[in-house]
Amino acid sequence: MSLDEAGTRAPTDPALERARIPLLELIQRQSLDEDYADAARRRAEAPAALSAPSAGSGRPPSRRIGPVALALVVFGGLLSVAFVQTRDNADVDSASRSSLIRQVEARRDRLERQQNRLARLRTRVDELTTQVAELTDADQAAALRALRIGSAAGTLAVVGEGVRVLITEPDSADDVSKVHDEDLALLVNGLFEAGAEAITVNGQRLTAVTAIRTSGTAIEVNGVGIGPPYTVLAIGDTGVLGARLFETKSGLDFAATADYYGFDYTLENVDRLVLPAAPPRVTNLRSARINSFGPGNGKEDDEG
Amino acid sequence: MIAVLGLLVGVLLGLFFHPDVPIGLEPYLPIAVVAALDAVCGGLRAYLDGIFDDKVFVVSFLSNVVIAAGIVYVGDRLGVGGQLSTGVIVVLGIRIFSNVAAIRRHLLRA
Repeated sequence: MSLDEAGTRAPTDPALERARIPLLELIQRQSLDEDYADAARRRAEAPAALSAPSAGSGRPPSRRIGPVALALVVFGGLLSVAFVQTRDNADVDSASRSSLIRQVEARRDRLERQQNRLARLRTRVDELTTQVAELTDADQAAALRALRIGSAAGTLAVVGEGVRVLITEPDSADDVSKVHDEDLALLVNGLFEAGAEAITVNGQRLTAVTAIRTSGTAIEVNGVGIGPPYTVLAIGDTGVLGARLFETKSGLDFAATADYYGFDYTLENVDRLVLPAAPPRVTNLRSARINSFGPGNGKEDDEG
Repeated sequence: MIAVLGLLVGVLLGLFFHPDVPIGLEPYLPIAVVAALDAVCGGLRAYLDGIFDDKVFVVSFLSNVVIAAGIVYVGDRLGVGGQLSTGVIVVLGIRIFSNVAAIRRHLLRA
């Protein structure tokens, strides 16, 4: 049985009804629980006598206020709780949303700062890389200079083409006619003037502080006593060294002296001479210190 | 009326005690409220129609709330929670509208 809007009753088959009538209209028609109509019909059909045992379900519709009021209390509670809940959730939602937004912004700021820092660090890395490259070049240049200086100064062993001068003393030589330190000095000076770059006398490398002197009866070079025959090795351009030697005053003087006193010497070109470095006790300077600001120091170009 | 008083008492109790809804039930509270509202409107219309029955009212109230929340809960488990919730609210909404319309007719005629 169903009740339409006007309140009249129309007997219909529920299944047919459900099939024919569109869904929304069906929902609308059945919006009032059919139970109310059913209960009312049952009360109307049941005789008053049979309804005695159940409390309050007599002919008048049962309208006990107790359960109804209780249900309404529950409904009111549900309503208010739901309202309060939604409001609280809204607060929480907006608070969490705004805190999220703050977090996002904070992270963005941090990211920006870090990117700036990254850019600065990159620039610094570039600068330092350039500096390292420059320092490496300077270091290599300085090492090269040190080598060349060492070669020239006698602190490093060197190899190259050059001349060998062999001076022999005759057995009959006496104190006057034997080879003296000045004679060797003449030869050495002549060789330097002729363009020799490194000279050894009997294996002793000549440096800026090397003295060729007489000690007692022997000649001393670098503090080491040497004796005849005297071998003087000089590294230089073999094409001109020998010839130029005898164009220099010292060379000519030496030749004259050798001639006068009668000691022999031979000069020959050698393709490969290996000259040792001077001993450390000679090369370690005690009084002279490096003067960074002196003339000639700190020049970039080599005289080599 | 006592019924209105009961409603007010319920609202005040809810506000006063501020019960904490368990997190698991929190999403179903609005559905339950709408279902309860439908039952209350139906009851009011039945009252005005003269066929009110307290047993029917209480039963419909409880069953509406439980069934509506239950449908949405099952929908959540199945993954169609949002759609089922929409469907339930649509149906309940239509019923509420039509009951309220009937109530309006009664009140305007009376």
